[in-house]
Amino acid sequence: MSTWDGLLTGFAFALQPGVLIYCLLGVTLGTFIGVLPGIGAMAAISLLLPITYYISAEAALIMLAGVYYGAQYGGAVSSILLRLPGTPQSAVTALDGYPLARQGRAGVALFTSMISSFAGSVIGIVVLVLLAGWLSRAAVAFGAADYAAMMVLGLVAASTIGSAHPAKGFAMIVFGMLLGCIGTDVNSGVQRFVMGRTEMLDGINLVALAMGLFGVAEVIGNVRDPDRQAVAGRIGLRAMAPERDDLKRMPLPVLRGSALGSFFGALPGTGSTLSSFLAYAVERRVARRPERFGQGAIEGVAGPEAANNSASITAFVPTLTLGIPGDPIMALMLGALVIHGVQPGPMMLETRPEMFWGLVASFGIGNLLLLILNLPLIGIWVSLLRIPFRWLYPAILIFVCLGVWSVRGLTFDIVMVAGIGLAGYLLALARFNPALLLLGFVLGPLIETNLRRALLISRGDPMVFLERPISAFFVVATAGLLVYSAIQAWRRRETPEPGGASADGP
Amino acid sequence: MTTRLTRRATLALAAAFAAAPALAQDGWPSGPLHVYVGFPAGSSPDTLARIVTEPLAERLGQPVVIENKPGAGGVIGIQQMLANAGDGLTFGTTINGPLTTAQRTMDDTGYDVDADIVPVTLIATSPLVLVVNAESDITDLQSFIDAAGAEPEALAYGSVGQGSGAHLTAELFADEAGVTMLHVPFTSYAEVTTSIAGGEIDAGFMAPSAALPLVDGGQLRMLGITSAEPFAQVPDVPVMAGRAGLPEDFRAELWNGFVAPAGTDAAIVERLTTEINDILADPAVQEQLLAIGWVAAPGTPAEMEERIAADTEMWGGVLDRIEAAE
Repeated sequence: MSTWDGLLTGFAFALQPGVLIYCLLGVTLGTFIGVLPGIGAMAAISLLLPITYYISAEAALIMLAGVYYGAQYGGAVSSILLRLPGTPQSAVTALDGYPLARQGRAGVALFTSMISSFAGSVIGIVVLVLLAGWLSRAAVAFGAADYAAMMVLGLVAASTIGSAHPAKGFAMIVFGMLLGCIGTDVNSGVQRFVMGRTEMLDGINLVALAMGLFGVAEVIGNVRDPDRQAVAGRIGLRAMAPERDDLKRMPLPVLRGSALGSFFGALPGTGSTLSSFLAYAVERRVARRPERFGQGAIEGVAGPEAANNSASITAFVPTLTLGIPGDPIMALMLGALVIHGVQPGPMMLETRPEMFWGLVASFGIGNLLLLILNLPLIGIWVSLLRIPFRWLYPAILIFVCLGVWSVRGLTFDIVMVAGIGLAGYLLALARFNPALLLLGFVLGPLIETNLRRALLISRGDPMVFLERPISAFFVVATAGLLVYSAIQAWRRRETPEPGGASADGP
Repeated sequence: MTTRLTRRATLALAAAFAAAPALAQDGWPSGPLHVYVGFPAGSSPDTLARIVTEPLAERLGQPVVIENKPGAGGVIGIQQMLANAGDGLTFGTTINGPLTTAQRTMDDTGYDVDADIVPVTLIATSPLVLVVNAESDITDLQSFIDAAGAEPEALAYGSVGQGSGAHLTAELFADEAGVTMLHVPFTSYAEVTTSIAGGEIDAGFMAPSAALPLVDGGQLRMLGITSAEPFAQVPDVPVMAGRAGLPEDFRAELWNGFVAPAGTDAAIVERLTTEINDILADPAVQEQLLAIGWVAAPGTPAEMEERIAADTEMWGGVLDRIEAAE
């Protein structure tokens, strides 16, 4: 079956009313759980699993997938309005989305996020259709050394996020990496810094960390300073329509973000969190005036949102082409298929073409539905800001607790999020950037595990990082980036220009 | 009252006041059962628990609520069951790890298997398959052992973590085959299969369902299975026991069982054993279990207790050898 025939079959399948309704159900649910801080696709899909036993395997997969990518749309909403990431992937969106909201441009930020999300998804779908085979080969070809080298590049590239004070940024990354050490060490099985608590054996929960650092810390900050609330601004189509200048700033970040997201999404285990961080870092690097970032740069919303949405589409590549789930949520969806007697993997394209192509077609349909659903919702979301603090913040705290609890069902995690929230507030007072802590936390353990695994497999030979072509490429790229940054910093010192105008140069 | 309260007297008292229905077989269960599972919803142990508890709820006339408390390889599920025990309605299903090896691999699990846990019945067992890259020269068990024996740590194998079933099975195999292999720990079978398919590591022991997609796709090859008999999910894979110099009794299986907290009334345990055995006798249930890689293994509490003791000893021996080698 050619790609074209496949897509036709897929659309014919996915547009049947009995299937379409599940797609709509999935994306709608996804949007809402995405908006709710802490309650992620994992919890929603777990809850939906029993329902899937009663519908066809195809409809079940289409619905669950809808929740998965729909959550990426919703996640940005609370990030932008309340500096409270609905999903860890959208944490970076808060960096510029929230300043926009405080300037009364929440509608514009949400509009940008929705359009970028949609464009990112569409690009992700095109990549999935055209390059699925290539991406799945790349996913298998990536070994431990390649992951380690790639993560180091990612860390170096992203470390400039919010680097008004490089030392502070560096401190946050290192702190994040140290927090990432907590738990059972994969390589040795040694339990590190668990303080005798079984609950700590699997490390600090990413959701608890993200919710605490951003959400709870923000709530504490606002209680102390009630005038900080973002202004709702005008609501209505005109208010959310971006100005011409905003529109001009969007296409390139969306393209760059989608490229990053499409690639990283397809690699099992790296996921969309990294891609949104990298997209932000890249936008900041290529910007003519990087100092606008953190002050409400449209690019800082468009890039990451395009990235995490395209990643949520290409994340299906290893699952569909290899039967290898890229993250725990994918594993959950694979489980749902197995219960239906469907063996996911390379044979699916031949044995269940209507399922494969139906799912691909449903990505397109689902994203269109998401756009149609979300654009009118922008006004409603913005009006959330009109809710007085005394109502909004207790509600937020309840959702944060629910969300964190939903991951493992342990009260311990709620105590944890409270502690992290307090720490996050103190860090915010001292003007440390919590996004960098989160980045260090995500990347640190990945770098450590893969570095040590690579050396274990090479029997201790460090040359493995230069002998493997993929790894060598990343090592060289990292070195190049470091040299480039050093030269830039040196030049800036050589020719100090008044008013910081030096950063305007191309 | 000067006499000590005997068990019988307690029962009578309880029945009379109907205040402690947990102790009386009549009227049990008085409310919904809570079954703790130490793995997330949708995982294989969770699906297994749901397959068994759905008909159980029908038979008992009370709903059964699955409480997913994932973490620490299933140990948190047991801890949470014990923390919520006391009403005669709290139970758990668990894989073998938390009852056999966790006491060795963790600093403190917070419970004593013999003292705190009452076995109800085994539910199912799952063998592991030995997998290599399909393009490898290794085509059968003998050539695998030959290649592994060429020099110490000639082959690298992946597992799902230090002390996991996949790790210990591989070490047991290596010991019986008289070879040493390099252990590379991962966190999921998905990573292990990718690494083997990518040619980075050589082999791995894993649940058949983890290997099947890539075996069907022509990227992986299964060499043998660790159960005593061929496994219906992968009927063509030969049994390892007795082949290529391995002992006739070579067997390594993961299992999943139904447990109760200590102090649960014996009559309740007996009732549950009977009901679950009946459920497992249903061919439809057996088929559901097989689809997710488990073969039904009904039995008595005594049999499960023996299995716990035997496996604790066997895996303890493997752990001793691993520690000695370090």
